[in-house]
Amino acid sequence: MEPIILIPIILPFLLGIAGTKILFKGEKIKTFYVISAVTINLLALIGILNIEGAKAFHLLKINPFLDIYFKIDKLGILFALLASILWIFTTFYSLAYMKHEGKEERFFVFFILTLGITLGIAFSGNLFTLYIFYELLTLATFPLVIHAGTKEALYSGRKYLIYSLGGATVALLGMILLFSISNSLNFVEGGVLGTVNIDNPKLLLTIYMVMFLGFGVKAAIVPFHSWLPAAMVAPTPVSSLLHAVAVVKSGIFVLVRVCYFVFGAETIRQIHGNIYTSVLVFITILLGSLLALHQENLKKRLAYSTISQLGYIVLGIILLNENALIGGLLHLVNHAVIKITLFFCVGAIYFMTHKKNINEIKGIGKQMPVTMTCFSIASISLIGIPPTNGFVSKWYLALGGLTENKIIFPIILLLSAFLTAAYLLPIVVTAFFHGEEKKDIKKLDPPIKMLVPIILLTGITIFLGLFPNVLLHYIKSIVENLV
Amino acid sequence: MTYAKNFPLLMILILFISAFIMPLMKKNIFVKGLSLFTMGISMILSIYTWIFITKNGAYFYRVGHWDAPWGIEFKIGMIEAIMAMLFTMVATLILWYSVYSVEKEVKDNKVSFYYLLVNILLGSLLGMVFSNDLFNCFVFIEVTTLASCGIIVVKDKKENIAATLKYLILSSLGSGLVLMGIAFLYDITGNLNMTYIHKEIMNVHAVYKNTLHIAAGLCTVGIGIKSAMFPLHVWLPDAHSSAPASSSAILSALVLKAPILLLIKILYGVFGFEIIREFAILNLILILGTMGMIMGSVLAIKQKEIKRVIAYSSVAQVGYIFFGIGLGNKLGLTMAIFHIIGHAVTKSALFLAAGAMIEKSGKKKLSELKGIGKEMPYTLGLFTIGALSMVGIPILPGFISKWYLSLASIDAGEFMLIGAILMSSLLNALYYFPIIVNGYFGEENLAGKIYKSNEKSIKELLPLMMLIIGMIAIGAGSNKIMDMIRIGLI
Repeated sequence: MEPIILIPIILPFLLGIAGTKILFKGEKIKTFYVISAVTINLLALIGILNIEGAKAFHLLKINPFLDIYFKIDKLGILFALLASILWIFTTFYSLAYMKHEGKEERFFVFFILTLGITLGIAFSGNLFTLYIFYELLTLATFPLVIHAGTKEALYSGRKYLIYSLGGATVALLGMILLFSISNSLNFVEGGVLGTVNIDNPKLLLTIYMVMFLGFGVKAAIVPFHSWLPAAMVAPTPVSSLLHAVAVVKSGIFVLVRVCYFVFGAETIRQIHGNIYTSVLVFITILLGSLLALHQENLKKRLAYSTISQLGYIVLGIILLNENALIGGLLHLVNHAVIKITLFFCVGAIYFMTHKKNINEIKGIGKQMPVTMTCFSIASISLIGIPPTNGFVSKWYLALGGLTENKIIFPIILLLSAFLTAAYLLPIVVTAFFHGEEKKDIKKLDPPIKMLVPIILLTGITIFLGLFPNVLLHYIKSIVENLV
Repeated sequence: MTYAKNFPLLMILILFISAFIMPLMKKNIFVKGLSLFTMGISMILSIYTWIFITKNGAYFYRVGHWDAPWGIEFKIGMIEAIMAMLFTMVATLILWYSVYSVEKEVKDNKVSFYYLLVNILLGSLLGMVFSNDLFNCFVFIEVTTLASCGIIVVKDKKENIAATLKYLILSSLGSGLVLMGIAFLYDITGNLNMTYIHKEIMNVHAVYKNTLHIAAGLCTVGIGIKSAMFPLHVWLPDAHSSAPASSSAILSALVLKAPILLLIKILYGVFGFEIIREFAILNLILILGTMGMIMGSVLAIKQKEIKRVIAYSSVAQVGYIFFGIGLGNKLGLTMAIFHIIGHAVTKSALFLAAGAMIEKSGKKKLSELKGIGKEMPYTLGLFTIGALSMVGIPILPGFISKWYLSLASIDAGEFMLIGAILMSSLLNALYYFPIIVNGYFGEENLAGKIYKSNEKSIKELLPLMMLIIGMIAIGAGSNKIMDMIRIGLI
């Protein structure tokens, strides 16, 4: 029964390939096919999670290293469910949105493929398998990034490829060195290095830093962040899903795996890896926010905001204590939901009015009241004001910082929250309060397929803020065994 | 099964003898058929040989029942059997591909001549693989040089003649150096048979240290020219890019590799692990290999023609092989041989795919080949898989080589060189991806192109597909292949 766990990973591959024929058969078939593809996959995923029994499977084991191995664990389930559910929202949104971008068939083929790859990342049982899917993710999302096919898109796409492949190669260097020490890259709670004596902390630190920086490229850690704003040239569903969820969160997810399942918190403390990395993370949080202040283009502003927020999550990971990791993982989920909402709103504005910049959207709140209300709520959540979910995760992050007895962590969090307000609230203010009073205001809220995902996601934002307990307990149960 | 012992010689003889029947045939179709048939027979014989070796182990074969020091001797072990299988299989697929397209690049009246040369070339390559006699190997080197000159110049264009002359001169220099190296060895040991030379060297190496050094150096540099070791590669881009597609594939996949195998035999067989490790020559090979890995790729980035890009990429890939040889440990050597196998299959597929694109579109510059992915989606798709292996996407053979070469360099204590390996794989990405990206994507690039308007038929693409499938199989079965190579090395 074990191979059954591969279904949610392989199914999107098959559906994507079949899609190259089926998607071209007409509008209705396409809509039906895409929606059913992602829904069936979610159902398959849930079905598999409910099956009792062994949840690990060696697809191809050549030797201790070349071992394609899948294992379902709680962290993987969290990531897989997050991705699958957000994928469904994005599917509905893009069915409407992609009409004006053209080449929808190609878009959906890679869109479905990417779902499978993301789930592959979630369920990888060792670093090698993870690395395969990590590389595949780059390759499969590349066509999505350069969807428009313009010179600018191709340029950004090249940047994206070079950064991602470069990062992966650097990470590979770390993997090689680590393998030569530990002879195993399997994910074990508490780290594979537990049994290995640390007789060369310098080498181990180098390996840790190399892997952190290599995989950190996808998590947009400064100074490897500049591909993310450049990739905003992609269509909005891509920016929202990939650059708020699938790609960047995969980077984060890999960092969690590396820190807690390969090295182990104890080892990292011994080699002082957390100290060196925390400097980078500080810079990431602050620089992301500061740069976001300058952006006129709405999507770019959100992209820099993503960089800063990803810094929070990484901070939660590298503080190496329970509260911080809870905060980090909570923020992984919360930020995904918030940022996808923000992007969807911005995309809706572009879809309806073809406006991209902040100074163009004066008074748009009156034309698109529902959209901009959702945008406002999501903004408030990202700043971290209760009763939204952003508050909950930041609370735990601050607690984590205090557990480390370093007051600087909460201060940075507060400073960055202030900056977040400084770059998001002006958008809200411009949209609702600027611009001339018009008598006959044309209602411009987007079509139902786009509006419903936005509203539902905003609902989730508030729901997770008011009732965070289910998620919190789940994450606590993950974290218990790790720190 | 003892008759199976004759198969290696039989392969060479079949190829040589059938070659000279070809000019007598009137119709090209028969020539092609004969060539493909003999190659297929050789392939089957080589598979039998391999099975025989797996069951019974390595053996020596006396040609013409003359005993070893006097007569020529073949040594057929696991590595030789694998190489023979690789050479004949790849050659069969390339010939199969060429059957459909050779007339587009080679004039009708030259076709029989072309296949004659290919058969002779393959025969002598196999000879070089099997032979345990240094002078015999030298003869085969010369035959390969002349035959490969033939299959380059057969296109009868100006650039081909220039490239061939360059190749001829440098290759002759190379084989001259090898001959000198052999002369030194003969002088010291009084033997030409590798096994006997090795025995003698073990006795006298303390006395003739410098002479042995010189002999090893001469052989390395001579073979380095033949197999495009980095600063000696200057002939390769011209020759490989101007030749017909099937010739390029044979040249880069097979003709480069047989001399490297000979070098391995000389360094590790004739001199032996213990002696060669004390020589500085391994460091030289290591350094040149590393430089080749980097510089081959750097030069490839600057090229404007697709076939030149692939040709320079060969320089880089051969660099990996020399790198493995130069590390001077078992794992490095194993990976060098593994990379010979992986690269032979991958590079021939890349050359054939590029050849198909050039043939169908009539353009060979990268800038003109933009948007080709829409016209020839399958061909470029196969090209992409090959390129991904070069870049080092896991499970494909390129990745396996890189991974184990890195581990081997850790074993050898050369941590810094891992950086060079990874750097080179990134550089690979820099010149392969633009071809693919511009081929499939980009509004401007695709404008005016019609989907599948120029695609080759499935029948013609079949050999290409089989090469790619073979490549994936090599990656997936890498562990078994490496085990077999290890058996051969002991």
